[in-house]
Amino acid sequence: MSVADGDFFGLLGPNGAGKTTLISAVCNLIRVTAGEISVFGHPHGELAARRLVGLAEQDVNLDRFLDVEETLRYHGGYYGLDRARARARAREMMDVFDLRAKAQVRAPKLSGGMRRRLLLARALMHEPRLVILDEPTAGVDFELRLELWRYIRRLHAQGTTILLTTHYLEEAEELCEEIALIRSGRVIARDTADGLRAAYDAGSLADVYVKAMGAAAA
Amino acid sequence: MSAGLPWLASREVLRVLKLWTQTILAPVAAQLLFILVFGLALSGRIRSVEGVPYDQFIVPGLTIMAMVQAAYANNSSSVFQARFDRYINDILAAPMRPWEINLGLSLGGAVRALLIGVALLAVALPVTGAPVHEPLALALAMLLALVLFSALGVVVGIYADTWDHAGFVNNLLILPLTFLGGVFYSVDVLPSPWHELSHANPIFYIVQAVRYGFLGTSDVSVVLALGVTGALAAVMVAWSSWLFATGRRLKP
Repeated sequence: MSVADGDFFGLLGPNGAGKTTLISAVCNLIRVTAGEISVFGHPHGELAARRLVGLAEQDVNLDRFLDVEETLRYHGGYYGLDRARARARAREMMDVFDLRAKAQVRAPKLSGGMRRRLLLARALMHEPRLVILDEPTAGVDFELRLELWRYIRRLHAQGTTILLTTHYLEEAEELCEEIALIRSGRVIARDTADGLRAAYDAGSLADVYVKAMGAAAA
Repeated sequence: MSAGLPWLASREVLRVLKLWTQTILAPVAAQLLFILVFGLALSGRIRSVEGVPYDQFIVPGLTIMAMVQAAYANNSSSVFQARFDRYINDILAAPMRPWEINLGLSLGGAVRALLIGVALLAVALPVTGAPVHEPLALALAMLLALVLFSALGVVVGIYADTWDHAGFVNNLLILPLTFLGGVFYSVDVLPSPWHELSHANPIFYIVQAVRYGFLGTSDVSVVLALGVTGALAAVMVAWSSWLFATGRRLKP
């Protein structure tokens, strides 16, 4: 499977389909036992490849000992930003994600919505070429979901490649240029939302999903 | 060296400083109580051990005990917490080499131990009058001991499934072996087989190496004591390096 530079690519599939496993493999968070992964031409384990990827995981995994600004600065440092650049970029991100008022608040004291924003801001700190968002709007209210969609769209408009996993079909349809349906670790369909509807003779992406998963299970 | 290593090391030190009442103040206060209660109170009854005043005799062992326990406890809890909350993924995904992540995570415990050592000695040396006879040997002994216990903390932090696991190693292994390692007495006064068994205790050699650095005397040759400590440190560093290089226990 390959995703083109600058694409907005969605991965849809049931729980256990392999979406998070795929993402974890790209980001060196699991031990890959077979196959090859390259990121913009670099083997995924190389430092050059890692610098190009930003990940916002499904679970909120923020460092409990750091406040908002430190979370961003230290992440930037891990990815090679110098102190001045990390500080400036952290302030920029706090402004973009409306986190400035919470700059000195530690992650466990933040609301759920604030933590989600911080997670996304952290993934973008080092200006990655590929941003991987694993169910970024899971469990957030509708208002914040729309807000996150706006951030993500803006990011894509700036040329960033985005790989998004989601359970929300409308989210995939709303955001993604191309969608892959995945089941049991295999891609069972891949096209634009219109292309998928046409291929499955379906009126909606939900119908496509039901038909494709049913066919794959048969 | 990747730019991320100093950031990771400074994150570990920042954690120590943010929690300074738990990480620095509490162990310093506890060890000072040991020195005051055991040293000053008992020194009236136990005049000297091998010609060294008792309050001075216990300073090296108590100091290194506090330092190695801090190095171990810091790294085991920091690594376990990072795994438990999964923010270790932010580090594992970053462009850092396995040895850099290992070193960065280890340095927090070493710095914490050094801060405790400096604070303890700043009080204990003037109060007891304990000398520093062999500063180079002392520095080498402390360095090897901190490498050993910092790496042990990282290893246990990686293997631990619960907080109890990390505490178990400290309470049922490090602490008893430390007390039996000649902190409060010379093992030469022990009858057989306790005298021989004491030589099988790895912490005995650390205490002896540090005591030699302070007092210029020890129950075994300082070369042997430093050699055993160095060998144990090398084994533990090799173990932690292997865990990071392979991703075992860190990555599914």
